Amino acid sequence: MIARILLRIVAWAVMAYLVLPLVVIVGASLTATSYLAFPPQGLTLDWYGRMLADTSYVAAFGTSTALALAATAGAVLLALPAALAIARHDFPAKRTLLSLLMSPLVLPHVVLGAALLQYCAALGLMRSFAALLVGHVVIVTPFVLRSVLPQLTPEQRALEEASADLGARPFETFLLVVLPQIRGGLTSGAIFAFISSWINVELSIFNTTAELTTIPVKLFNYVQYTIDPVIAAVSSITIAVAAVTIVLLDLTVGLHVLSKRR
Amino acid sequence: MTAALTGDPATVPAAAPPTALRRALPLLAAPVAFFVAFFAVPMVVVLSSSLMAGGAPSLANYARVLLDQYHWDVLAVTFRIAALTTLAVTLLGYPLAYYLVRVVSSNALRRGCVILLLLPLFTSNIVRSFGWMILLGRNGLVNDTLVGIGLLERPIRFLGTETGIVIGLVYILLPFIVLAVGNALATVDPTLEEASADLGSSPFTTFWTVTFPLCLPGLIAGVIMVFTLAASAYVTPALLSGGKITVFPMLIFQQYSTVFDVHYGGALSITLLVFTLVLVALAGRIGNGGGNRS
Repeated sequence: MIARILLRIVAWAVMAYLVLPLVVIVGASLTATSYLAFPPQGLTLDWYGRMLADTSYVAAFGTSTALALAATAGAVLLALPAALAIARHDFPAKRTLLSLLMSPLVLPHVVLGAALLQYCAALGLMRSFAALLVGHVVIVTPFVLRSVLPQLTPEQRALEEASADLGARPFETFLLVVLPQIRGGLTSGAIFAFISSWINVELSIFNTTAELTTIPVKLFNYVQYTIDPVIAAVSSITIAVAAVTIVLLDLTVGLHVLSKRR
Repeated sequence: MTAALTGDPATVPAAAPPTALRRALPLLAAPVAFFVAFFAVPMVVVLSSSLMAGGAPSLANYARVLLDQYHWDVLAVTFRIAALTTLAVTLLGYPLAYYLVRVVSSNALRRGCVILLLLPLFTSNIVRSFGWMILLGRNGLVNDTLVGIGLLERPIRFLGTETGIVIGLVYILLPFIVLAVGNALATVDPTLEEASADLGSSPFTTFWTVTFPLCLPGLIAGVIMVFTLAASAYVTPALLSGGKITVFPMLIFQQYSTVFDVHYGGALSITLLVFTLVLVALAGRIGNGGGNRS
């Protein structure tokens, strides 16, 4: 059937389009030439050595990692109680609250970044780790909330009530009954939160400095002026981090997207 | 979410909301305080700055934005790029989503494709745009290939053109639409399609009258998301424009990073925001009942 063959061709062409730039970056990072070449001419790991020798890259990787971990922890600490309150209690303006907590998903990051720059300047926090962190917590909290909320189903409420009736204190019920039920949603939400913070440029760029910078912002500032294989090496590392994160997601909660719901 | 929203005081026992609120309050205190302090208040500060000029309340900043033809030109470029991107993303992403959900029968293959779909999504858009800077250069792979197979006589310029920006944005946003459409497709009950086929419909008729309408909410949610992200993108246009094309988010960035005019910059921010929110509200209106974005 022609339609089916055509579909197959389009699908594989699109898959190739999705993978091509990443292959090009990893390939170009291995080139022995001093300029970017793809396919690479000669093979060398020198550019990775150069990257590791440059302490500013190592520092930026450190900042990005610390920021993403702290933002994820913050998002979990905020989203978890909010999800419990929304799923378990009826209170006024619940829908408004949910909209407030989810709206960073649709807000242009450039606008939020600009707002936080101005605001943190007024607070004396301008271009500090704290300024970066609060912004990142705001943008990644919706990911955790979105994946935890659907797992707090009304049916599971009965289990929580049983636990309370049997004399468990609220915190024990949370730890022993609620947490095991939402572990999957919490894990995938936290992984999405981590990676969203790790790759962010448009929010971070406002509150970074030459000394305090994340790896995507450093790359952005660098790429605008010079392009060399070191950049490709740094980019390749971030692609590797993405790959590891996906494997982690698959191993912990499984990749259920695009497959039929159980 | 439960429909039992207690907004109407007449239907609720007078004592109920305060009790419920009191029990929810310990859970809500931290998230609400944080979001008010670092999200709501900063946005209010931007709004109020945009409404101040020369130390007094004024609409002068908005007049400066909206009465200047240049801003309308930039808005037109921004939304033209966003619209073209959305169209291309839909035309490319829909077949892929359909293929992955409906045609691929091997779970291992589908899983492999999902991993390849997530890989760019989990990579910074700076890295992904950088890949296209290499590919689209005058002597990049794309030009070399096109010249090599005789489609072009000499290399053409992609960087610094709207086409180049669209190619980069399509790449960045494609996974979103594939996931949105694919997840909608995965929830369509195949027996409905079988029934349509049993009743004599051609595969095309079945697709057009059964499958397509059933996953329309997923498509609409994906389309609106892609459009808003394309219209508010800064990094990809900044890298692929080569300084030759300006989109609206660049104007905002300039005002805050170099000029530091929070009044004029605030008006620009609110202008972009209003356009975005109107579109999101429209999406909510159309896609209502279609459920959550995922």
